[in-house]
Amino acid sequence: MTVPRADAERRAESGFSGPLLQVDDLHVEFRTRDGVAHAVNGVSYSVDAGETLAVLGESGSGKSVSAQAIMGIIDSPPGFVTRGAIRFRGSDLLTLSDEQRRRIRGRRIAMIFQDALSALNPVYTVGFQLAEMFRVHEGLSRGAAKRRAIELMDRVRIPAARQRVHDYPHQFSGGMRQRIMIAMAIALGPDVLIADEPTTALDVTVQAQIMELLAELQRESEMGLILITHDLGVVADVADRIAVMYAGRIVEEASVHDLYARPAHPYSKGLLESIPRVDLKGSELAAIKGQPPNLLRVPSGCAFHPRCPYRREVCVTKEPPLFDVAPGRGSACHFWEEVLDGR
Amino acid sequence: MGRYTVRRLLQLIPVVLGTTFIIHFLVWQLPGDPFAGRCGDRPCAPAFVAMMTEKYQLDEPWIFQYLTFLKNLLVGDFGESFNGVPVAQILADTWPVTIRLALVGIAFEIIIGIGAGVLTGMRRGGFLDNLSLVTTLFFLAIPVFVIGFTLQYLLGVQFPIIRPTVTPEARWDELIVPGFVLASLQMAIVVRLARSTIVENLRSDYVRTATAKGLPRMRVVGVHLLRNSLIPVVTFLGTDLGNLMGGAVVTEGIFNINGVGGQLFRAIHLHDSTIIVPMVTVLVLVYLSVNLLVDLLYAVLDPRIRYD
Repeated sequence: MTVPRADAERRAESGFSGPLLQVDDLHVEFRTRDGVAHAVNGVSYSVDAGETLAVLGESGSGKSVSAQAIMGIIDSPPGFVTRGAIRFRGSDLLTLSDEQRRRIRGRRIAMIFQDALSALNPVYTVGFQLAEMFRVHEGLSRGAAKRRAIELMDRVRIPAARQRVHDYPHQFSGGMRQRIMIAMAIALGPDVLIADEPTTALDVTVQAQIMELLAELQRESEMGLILITHDLGVVADVADRIAVMYAGRIVEEASVHDLYARPAHPYSKGLLESIPRVDLKGSELAAIKGQPPNLLRVPSGCAFHPRCPYRREVCVTKEPPLFDVAPGRGSACHFWEEVLDGR
Repeated sequence: MGRYTVRRLLQLIPVVLGTTFIIHFLVWQLPGDPFAGRCGDRPCAPAFVAMMTEKYQLDEPWIFQYLTFLKNLLVGDFGESFNGVPVAQILADTWPVTIRLALVGIAFEIIIGIGAGVLTGMRRGGFLDNLSLVTTLFFLAIPVFVIGFTLQYLLGVQFPIIRPTVTPEARWDELIVPGFVLASLQMAIVVRLARSTIVENLRSDYVRTATAKGLPRMRVVGVHLLRNSLIPVVTFLGTDLGNLMGGAVVTEGIFNINGVGGQLFRAIHLHDSTIIVPMVTVLVLVYLSVNLLVDLLYAVLDPRIRYD
């Protein structure tokens, strides 16, 4: 792939040639009354300009928490980043001062949340909330910021933006609200966009439109996109690579094609098998047995072992590292070869 | 919102008619003689009683009294008290004092109540939070008259910073301590209310969004968190302003303030219906108007509320 011009320029600016954003051995824990919940246990992933990384996992897998750690918006207490590094253009965000991090937040790294109705402030107009980005970060006047807000709303294709800029979030439909969220996130042309389940609260037709919009915006601006989801269907069309998370760890990392064709971890395999398929209509849907682990008491060894059909003695006692399956591909399963061969 | 306001104002008419009717009825059901004890140690002379009965038409049925009262009220005539003082004069003397006292009280509720509520809500479990928890518990548990007499003794007598009692002019600065006493209970409630809404909204998604937008902490709190959190507090403050204006009997008594509460208390004591009814009528009007203002303010603070 040829490096796009915009990206080449940006790299020249910073004189740095590693990944745009790199999460390295990240640990996040929540100190609760009942004990310490290890939400993220040594997660590493990276995303490059123009690339889409999907972080896949069920509730409590740590996918959202790792994203919040990147943004620096974990409620602390109870949440603490205890180990690891988050390198943005080579500099570790975790070592920056609060003020330096704030300047990156929303401007260089932005985030879209799941439920736009609760994520937008109900008592301010969407115009105010969009314009706020320009007024605070760029010091624009009220009028100039409002004009930029209208431009943004046009860009995410909200009809009649000039009138609707004065409306409140509750006056928009779910899809339009999510467009507002997206507009807010891309307002200042961020380098990395984190979308945390951006389509979960929407119905299927709107989901497709929103994903299309995100893909288009990404193409235009060469952002690195981290797409957090539990929905394999959403991932297939837009992502370049997938990181599958379970109990705060990455259990498999692969290109979309490889993962769909030949999963190398029993958990990813189970996820793929639990997608309803038209050609198997009438037969019982395969499901992963058991419950997601309690993060206060993560199972010993491989955290997935209580639910795993490949379970052996070693799975209970020894935690599998992320084995190299192929270049750029890893699986945290002692028996990845068996899984890969479909045995 | 205009039509809503007009409708609410029109609703005032039946409410005022109804409340004055009930007040009239109740006052005339009060056991006792309005002329007992009015003439010093001796019973009043029969001639005086006859003269008063004639003047105030006391031998007419109470419904007649009520209609006369309404008729006079329409032309702005509040009548005369049994002492021969125009009731309008009594109202003009007492209301400004009561309003000043209530405003001082509400200022304490707003400044200390909301201020402490926000500070403790932001730092939940900290030293300030625990201190305020104990302090508000103290104010919630101790009766107003105890706080009143204690402060009067400490600040007025022991360490004479203030005059123990308020002069008839009841200047603003004299009303600071009485206003604090009057509002102490509600202030504690406001602290706790503001604290709990701040704590609740601090974890809300839109505050997280505001942080994720890279806004400075001051702006996240001052612009995004505060406005949402203050909506229930404003409702409480509004209804309480009405309470502060009518319910200051104890505080006014302690500090010898000539306000509505004390005046009403004395009038009830003396069975002087000529004062009780107009005064309560004005109280009702004030209470209803403040409530209307609060409801309108509510729609300004929260755009999801629409009146039509």
